[in-house]
This record gives sequence, structure tokens and C-alpha cells, in this order.
Amino acid sequence: MRLLLVEDDPMIGEGIRDGLGQEGFAVDWVRDGAAAETALGAEPYAAVLLDLGLPRKGGLEVLRAARAQRNDVPILVITARDAVADRIRGLDAGADDYLVKPFDLDELAARVRALVRRAEGRAEPVLRHGAIVLNPATRAATLGGRPVALSAREFALLHALMARPGMVLSRAQLEERLYGWGEEVGSNAVEVHIHNLRRKLGAGAIRNVRGVGYTIAAE
Amino acid sequence: MSSLRTRLLVALLGAVLLAGVVASAATYHGARAEVGAMLDEEMRQVALSLRDHAVLDVSRLAPGRGDPDQRVVVQIWDPRGVTVYLSNAASPLPLSRTPGFSDLTHEGRHWRMFTARSGPQTIQVAQSTSVRTELAAAAALRLLVPILAVLPLLAGLVWLILDRGLAPLARVARAVGTRSPASLEPLPADRLPGEVRPLVDALNGLLARLGDALAVQRRFAADAAHELRTPLTALALQIQLAERAKSDAERAAALARLKEGVKRASRLVQQLLALARLEPEAAETPFAPVALDALVLSVVEDLAPVAAARPVTLAATRLDQVEAQGNEDALRLLLANLLDNALRYALPGGRVEARAFRRGAEAVLEVADDGPGVPAEERGRVFDRFYRVPGTDAPGSGLGLAIARQVADLHHGRIELDDGLGGRGLTARVVLPAAPTP
Repeated sequence: MRLLLVEDDPMIGEGIRDGLGQEGFAVDWVRDGAAAETALGAEPYAAVLLDLGLPRKGGLEVLRAARAQRNDVPILVITARDAVADRIRGLDAGADDYLVKPFDLDELAARVRALVRRAEGRAEPVLRHGAIVLNPATRAATLGGRPVALSAREFALLHALMARPGMVLSRAQLEERLYGWGEEVGSNAVEVHIHNLRRKLGAGAIRNVRGVGYTIAAE
Repeated sequence: MSSLRTRLLVALLGAVLLAGVVASAATYHGARAEVGAMLDEEMRQVALSLRDHAVLDVSRLAPGRGDPDQRVVVQIWDPRGVTVYLSNAASPLPLSRTPGFSDLTHEGRHWRMFTARSGPQTIQVAQSTSVRTELAAAAALRLLVPILAVLPLLAGLVWLILDRGLAPLARVARAVGTRSPASLEPLPADRLPGEVRPLVDALNGLLARLGDALAVQRRFAADAAHELRTPLTALALQIQLAERAKSDAERAAALARLKEGVKRASRLVQQLLALARLEPEAAETPFAPVALDALVLSVVEDLAPVAAARPVTLAATRLDQVEAQGNEDALRLLLANLLDNALRYALPGGRVEARAFRRGAEAVLEVADDGPGVPAEERGRVFDRFYRVPGTDAPGSGLGLAIARQVADLHHGRIELDDGLGGRGLTARVVLPAAPTP
């Protein structure tokens, strides 16, 4: 799952990127408001982590501009401003959640998962499709109750497909959702992951729509 | 006597008493003169009426009884100086030959005497002056006694009047006394007499200034807490990453960054402390002449390892003998902050120069670099606490220049920012009043 992190402090940015990376997120990190707007316009992010005290363009401005452009990506504000008035201003400007520094990395990851889940229109924390159950919090997958060992990428790919059953995602779209900037994507990486998933979950689990992409058939 | 009321009371009653005494004394003097004139006339009339009975048949005059309270003493002498008649034979007054009034002392008493000639005889009418004194004193007492009698009543009245007059003051005192330390609203200043008004206005002025100072402190504390959150967040993150690390290499990297984060937080705390100590209200720094050239040399030497690590060429390029009145520790902190800033932002291989020189009546400290500099439109803001020029990558708290400025303010000096070396970078110029050359 690909996230945009907007944070000007190098140490905090690095920490969040590495920490969320360990949780299976692909994190793109920008350090000012203007770069955040560019990135938001160019890539489909599952969620945005936004600091408010940003150089060049303030976080609130970025937030309002994104909402004004009808960009409904979930946005989690991360800031040191903890006054109630600040939180209200942030939420009213279009933020979906508000986390005050310093925060716990696990809580941050949990909040991001919750935001993504709500954005996908689910209330249940696990994703189900037939016999396949996916738990984004533990990154565990089961098939008919039996655990299935998936790599981080395989899990992310399956998650992307199961989030919107019936929707066909092209290889490029899957790559965009799986890989952050600067991550090397092998020319047939997606095909390799699909192949492995079919091997582990059964050949019928993922359907190939020739010339378009991949999908998990709606039940 | 610290009570205003007691002081006023004593002063007012004292003044009334003094006025009474002065009035009585004046009355006494006036009465003494009037009584004197009156009694003189009486004595003259007595003498003249005796003379008019031209032939005094002395034998018909009853001899005096010698009563000491007798108002008038009459003596008649024959031409040979022999007393013919004495109204008070016990103590005859000496013969006076000059006609008219005279004063004399006889047997310890003062007398007033009128002498008249009646043919061969000399008629003397005399009276003790104590009669006059007593009459005048009685008149004076008649004036003084009522004043003394009315004094207690006056005291009560004055007490009540003062009570009413001082009521606004008591009201103000209550308003101040019942006030909580946090409430800094101005005291009510309406319906106050003109004498109390300036006090309340001054108090309100003080409250306003206190409020401002408190607001500055609160903002500083809030800013400081806010700024401490950033390094703390970084620390919390790195700790969690270190805990989660799956390999020694990951753990080592997280720990290295953790160390860096602790260093950064400590530096921030140090700077916050320095800033708090340099508050104009807190600074009780005795000023002494500080040799700026020696100071530059010493700070440059201190920072040489930092410069070598960048690597940046750090040099003291001009060291004139110049002194400024100041606090050496504070000035050292100022210079260290400016040099630290220059080294921090300088590009590897860059150059930083420090100078100390005299310019007229001013002592100047200069730090110039050839780094990225500060755009002219940002130069006014870089002295603000926690302000950082947008796009700066070098780690920093945004406090260095704020501290430098505070030190300069403390020394009644200023900091100017200018272009740096070779038209690039930044020059920070600290201008202080120079100490007179020895």
C-alpha cells in the first residue's frame, strides 16, 4: 500500500518511512508543501501523512487545496500543534484523522490502516473473499482457515485486488500501488507475484483479463 | 506612624492647636496693650482728681490698709521729699521726680507709676503690672479654652472625614488584595478622586506590562514545548525502530540516529536555557571591558575541529585591538552561535571568516561565509525564535540567531545581515558600543 509522507524534519521523516516500510507500506517522502501537491496530483496514494508546519506551503493549505480539487484520499495530519482549536481547524479543513507528536509508530500504522479501510468502504478490519481472509494489521492471510505464507509484496498485491473485488487493475496500476519512488521494479515483477499467489491460493483465485489486467472476481 | 490617617489626624489637630495658641498669644499681646492704656488712663484720672482737690487735707485721708491686692497705690510727697500720705505704708515706693508715666521695680515687683505735681506736693499713683498681665492672660484664656475643649470633637470629626476621604484608597487596596495572581485585568479607575487616580493608572500600567511579559513567557514556553516535540518524536521513532530491528545492521543504524537525536534534543534544551538566561529581566550580568580580538581568536580556535570536519576553511582575517563593555560569556555565546551557523550552512570546501575591528565609536564583530546565504526578504525574520529559512536542510533549532540577537540587545548593540564573501553567502555584523581606548 502506497503512502505519501509530507514531513520537513529529516529525522522524523526517515523514522516514519522506515517504520511504515517495515509494516509493509511503500512510503513516498516529500519535505515541503509544494512537493506534496505535485506528488498528490501525480500518484494514487492509499493515504497521506501530513505535517502542518511545512516550508514553502503550509500543511493546512495543502489539505484545503487537495479537498478543493476533489481529491478524497484519506489524510492523516501529524503535527506538534496539540491545541484543541488546532485539531478542529485541521479536521474542518478536510483531514480524516489527527495525530499529535510525539506518537507511537504502532498507533500511526493502525490509524493508517483504519483510514484506508474506511476509504475502501469497509468496517471490518479483515478482508474476505471466498475462502481467503486477509488481515492487514497482522499481515496474515488464511485460506479456508489455514495460514498462507505470503511475502510483503504478494500480500500488498492481494490486498490491492481484494480491496475492490471485481475491479480490473492493470500492471502499471498495481506497480503504482506497490512500489514507492526509487524502488526498483523488475519488468515482470507483477507477473511473478501473481504467479506465486495463484500457486499458493489456487489457480482460480486471481483472474487475468487479457490485455487489461488482473482482478478478483466478484462473488 | 505609618498610618496615613493617624499622621493626618495628628498634623491637623496640631495645626488647630498651634493656631489656637498663636491666636491666644496675639490676643494676650493686644489685650495687654489695651488694658495698659486703659489702666494708665485710670491712674492718670486718679492722680488728676487728687490734684484737683487742690488743697489736700492729708489728715482726712484714711491711711492705707496695705492690701497687696489693692489695685492702685497712692503716695503724696511734700517738697522736701517727705511722704505726706501713703496708701500702702508697709512698702512705700521710691519718689519719682519726673512727671508722667514711668516703670519701676520695687521689692521684686514691677510697677507702673503716674507722677503729677500739685503745687508743692507730688502725687504718685502706681499700680502693680501683674494686674495688667492677669487681665490680658484672662482674655487670652477665654479664647484658648474653647479651642482646647472642642479639640476632641474635632478629632472625631477629622477621623470620620478622613475615613470617607480615604475610602477610595481602601477600595483600591481591597481590589488589589483580593486579586488572584493570574488576573491581570486593569483595576476599575472610574469614580476615583484625582489624587488616587494616578496611583491606579500607574498600577494598571504595571499590570499591563506584567501581562505583556507574562504573555511573552507563555509564548516562549509554548514554543519551547512545541519545538521539543520534534526531537522527541524523532527519538520515539528511532527507539521503536531499534526495538523492531531484525538485524544488527538495522539496529546499529537506528541507534546511531537515536544518538544523533539525543544530541539534537540536548542542544535545543541548551539553547532554550541560554535564551531564558539572556532575558533582559533575568540578566544580571556585570559588564566589563571585553577584548573582542582575543574573543574571536579563542572562539575560532574552539570551532577549528568542527570546521575541519565539514571541511570548511575557518580563519580570523582581521583582528584590531578593540574592546566593548559587556559580558564575556554572553558575547562568546553570540560569536559561537554566528560561527556555528556559518559552519553549519557552509558548503564543504567553503570559507568562513571572523573579524573584530573598530569603526568610529563602535566595536564590530563580523562573521562572513560563502554559503547559500539568506535571501534579502528573509533577513528580517531569521532572528525570530524557531524560524528557519524554508528549504534549509542543515539541522538546527532556529534559535541560534535569536540568541545572538538577544545578546546584542543586552549590550545595546545590533546585528546587521549583509552579503557574504565574494558576493555570495552571508555576513553577520554585530555592532556594539566600543569601550573607550585605554
